[in-house]
Amino acid sequence: MSHDTVLEARDLTKTFSSTDPPTRVLDGIDLTVREGEFLVVMGASGSGKSTLLYTVSGMDRPSGGTVTLRGRDLTALGDAETSRVRLHETGFVFQEAYFLRNLTVRDNVLLPALKAVPKEKAAAVARVDALLERFGIAHVAHHGITQVSGGQLQRASICRALACEPSVVFADEPTGALNSSMSAEVMDALTHVHAGGTTVVMVTHDPGCAARADRVVYLRDGGVVDTRVLGTWSPERAGAREDELLLWLRKLGF
Amino acid sequence: MSRSLAARYAAGDLRKNAGVDVALAVVLVLSAFLMATGAMVVERVFGSIDRLFEQAKPPHFLQMHVGEYDRAALESFAAEHPEIDAWVVEEMIGFDGAAVAWQRPGTQEAGDLADSLVDNLFVTQNAELDFLLDESGAVPRPSEGEVYVPVAYQQRFDLRVGDELEVTTDDGAVPLRVEGFVRDSQMASSLSPATRFLVSEADHAALEAGGGGAPEIIAEYRVTHQADLGGLQRAYQADPALPKNGEEVTYPMIRLINALSDGLVAVALMFASGVLVAIALLNLRFVIRGALEDEVREIGAMKAIGIRDAEISGLYLAKYRVMTALACVVGGGLAVAATTLLTRRMEVSYAAAPWELTTVLVPLGALALVYVVVVAICRGILRAVRKVEVVDALVHGSILGERQTARRARRQARRLRRGGLAAGRTGKVDVRLALADLRSDAGQWALVPVVFLLATLLVVLPTSLLNTLESPRFLTNMGMPRSDVLADLRFTDDVDGLRDDVLSDMAGDDRLTDVRAFAEVLYESPSEDGWATLRVDVGDHAGTIELLDGELPAAGQVALSTLNAQKFGVGPGDELTLRQDGATTTAVVSGVYQDITSGGDTAKMPATTPVADVTGAAGYAIHASTAPGADPAAVAAEYAERYPDAAVVPTEEYTRQTMATMTGALRNAAAASLAFGVGVALLITSLFLKLRLTRERRTRGILSAVGFSRREIVAQVRAKTLAAAALGTALGLLVAATAGELVVGGVMASANLGLARLDLVPDPWLVYLAYPLLLVSAAGLAAVALTARLRRADTSAWLRS
Repeated sequence: MSHDTVLEARDLTKTFSSTDPPTRVLDGIDLTVREGEFLVVMGASGSGKSTLLYTVSGMDRPSGGTVTLRGRDLTALGDAETSRVRLHETGFVFQEAYFLRNLTVRDNVLLPALKAVPKEKAAAVARVDALLERFGIAHVAHHGITQVSGGQLQRASICRALACEPSVVFADEPTGALNSSMSAEVMDALTHVHAGGTTVVMVTHDPGCAARADRVVYLRDGGVVDTRVLGTWSPERAGAREDELLLWLRKLGF
Repeated sequence: MSRSLAARYAAGDLRKNAGVDVALAVVLVLSAFLMATGAMVVERVFGSIDRLFEQAKPPHFLQMHVGEYDRAALESFAAEHPEIDAWVVEEMIGFDGAAVAWQRPGTQEAGDLADSLVDNLFVTQNAELDFLLDESGAVPRPSEGEVYVPVAYQQRFDLRVGDELEVTTDDGAVPLRVEGFVRDSQMASSLSPATRFLVSEADHAALEAGGGGAPEIIAEYRVTHQADLGGLQRAYQADPALPKNGEEVTYPMIRLINALSDGLVAVALMFASGVLVAIALLNLRFVIRGALEDEVREIGAMKAIGIRDAEISGLYLAKYRVMTALACVVGGGLAVAATTLLTRRMEVSYAAAPWELTTVLVPLGALALVYVVVVAICRGILRAVRKVEVVDALVHGSILGERQTARRARRQARRLRRGGLAAGRTGKVDVRLALADLRSDAGQWALVPVVFLLATLLVVLPTSLLNTLESPRFLTNMGMPRSDVLADLRFTDDVDGLRDDVLSDMAGDDRLTDVRAFAEVLYESPSEDGWATLRVDVGDHAGTIELLDGELPAAGQVALSTLNAQKFGVGPGDELTLRQDGATTTAVVSGVYQDITSGGDTAKMPATTPVADVTGAAGYAIHASTAPGADPAAVAAEYAERYPDAAVVPTEEYTRQTMATMTGALRNAAAASLAFGVGVALLITSLFLKLRLTRERRTRGILSAVGFSRREIVAQVRAKTLAAAALGTALGLLVAATAGELVVGGVMASANLGLARLDLVPDPWLVYLAYPLLLVSAAGLAAVALTARLRRADTSAWLRS
């Protein structure tokens, strides 16, 4: 693993044995993510994108292979250590707004921060309030989660992912359940996160969203079939990047 | 919608939720089982007693008497009262258990009845009423040398036909051969302080002539119409020539005392059943509402394609109908077996109750009640189907309408604002999170504390009642001074002389302390029905009774038992006229206390002269405490041997024996209640957690995703479960100590035995430590078992569910 590699998966497999016959969703994937990179994973439904994301983020255990995050093999860690990695080193943005309905928007965002540094409550609160301000949802901070829009919830989800200042943020189709204006809000927010130096690994179906990435990998039947380097994103070249990406995706049968 | 579709739906649902349904079914079976058993035991108890009463013809009114009596007066009384159908003066000779020995011919087996502290009364068979019956229900008439022994002794001392019995009189032993065993309608109850042996006229005469026994009579009457009983009783009491030195007992009292011990078990069983039915209903509500929430989209779809509300409800109801019906069948079957076991002693002591229509109808009625209540409540809960709006169900997956949803969201937001995770200075985030969940889902979590409250009542109340009946304090509560040794002096002509001897002996005995004598003086007072006997205990009553109302009597005052206060229509502050040997005085009623001794008809007055100087008393009770290290049983036995005319017993042992059958049966009921309570607590906690954990999968996924370890997530579930169970248990203890005491006391008071208020005396170690720990441990065990699997799940699987 070179010095600028933040995440690396080697010969990664995942088999779901609850189906009959068992389904092999990831089939020996090798993947490397560099420090500060914005990587997008694309592929048809059932290609294993989300499973790959859950497995490399330490949410689920792979059936085989290794996942190394900042030099630590996640597959060798116990439950307590893996959960510490999820708390301190990674953040996750889901397609659906997964929030605890018995907490306000602010408390949902605050939860990992208070968990991570219980003795520095004031600092955690200040950091979270700043995040809510930065992502434009401070005014709904004390609302219940059923009282805010989908876009606001996804921004809150990004705030929660950033609450412990992780080195990598994973996002699983963060705009999948949103309309176009809300999608733009969320992608702007993620781009903003990336611009701040955080590594972002995102799964998406949407070429418009994928065009924001530095690099796109394409999955088919649980394996990486091709990779496309797009370079640094700029709003001025957004249209050209999207066209270039679409052309590549069509060749791959997307 | 066709019945087969409903059946298929129910069968599919049963397969899907097998664990939850089995738990529910078990609670329903237990409810039906206990309800049917309680009902059957009640029916059998009264059936047995009625059968025995039918065969044995117990008296409708009886008066016990010790000492001389005027037979001619009794005869003229009977002649003057045509309402008397039959009457008899039964002559009895009482012997101490130590004076009755037995041996089995041809074996080394032998013993005596010294362990029994009740009076052993030898009688002959009556001609017209109050028969002692053999096991077949026939009226045995023993020949010379034969004896019929009470069935209670057959069981207790393992006596058999053919055994030889020897009664020691002053003139030597009278040998008898056990010919059979008798059931006694008057003294069958374990609460009876005496029991009767049946002998021939010749042997009765020999026992009387031999000396050493205590003669006593009972004047017994049966009336043609029971409506005349009150009048006859009043006329008897009003006639000064008739013997009255003893208790008077009426037919309803005999029946009640007989029914009490076994009836109490039936009441305990039905109480347990009531609690279990309540628990079952709470669970049904939780399960059905949960099912409606989980399957709201299916309900919406059914409504959308035009299926009527009643038909949709019917789909759910079908399962619970079948489940409850099956529970009633299984519970009823188990109840038959349990009732056979529970009523075995009853059939031996009383009579085998005949099978009648009510024998079948009573338990069927009880089971029908369980079925109807459960199905009606299910139907009520399923009314929620009517309120489901198609759009809300299909689009939002909510059983609530738009307005209700908005209202709920506003309410929730208000609650959320009140206490945030960062509010306050201390507290781990895990604890705050758990509290937030308990607060926001209080409606669902409430099931656990409510079930534990009920389970606590179920395990605590029967045990507390048992402990109360066995407690020495119970005697004080019930009118008897607390002491270790009690000498009852009455079966002798020179009772004052005997008193002096016993008192001086006891006063000089180092093993005895606090020797206190009470004289029993008979007065008469005007009641609604004319002058009635008032039995007054005269002595120093400080610390011996607990008054319900008023104060201890001072000079010129009298305290009355509750039954006497009712009988004479007076209360504290009222004046009561007392007549003795024609002279009339008045005393102010100072207070009222409860008493179950002497039929509950007692009164207390302070001694104006030392009890040792009293003359003309009907009897004396001398109470003494033993010094540390002295054995009350040994001391009592020694005094009983030294003074054959005195009945000297170790108080605690005597009470224990008197209450033995009742407490024995209650102990079984309490043990069963404990098992059911803890079992149901375990079962319901498992059921709750099973459903709750299924519905909380996404919450667990979120917590896991943001960095909580599985261990922490599991710990939160366990802590919440334990907290809810502990809260319910604590509330249950509180309710048991307040309302529970009132309810149990009320049931006991309704028996009208002189018990107006029952102060439960719980065993603090059991009730406040062992049982709560047991219940909370049951919750802990369920939580550990149900959460064990959580450690292996993938976070994504939780989130996607």
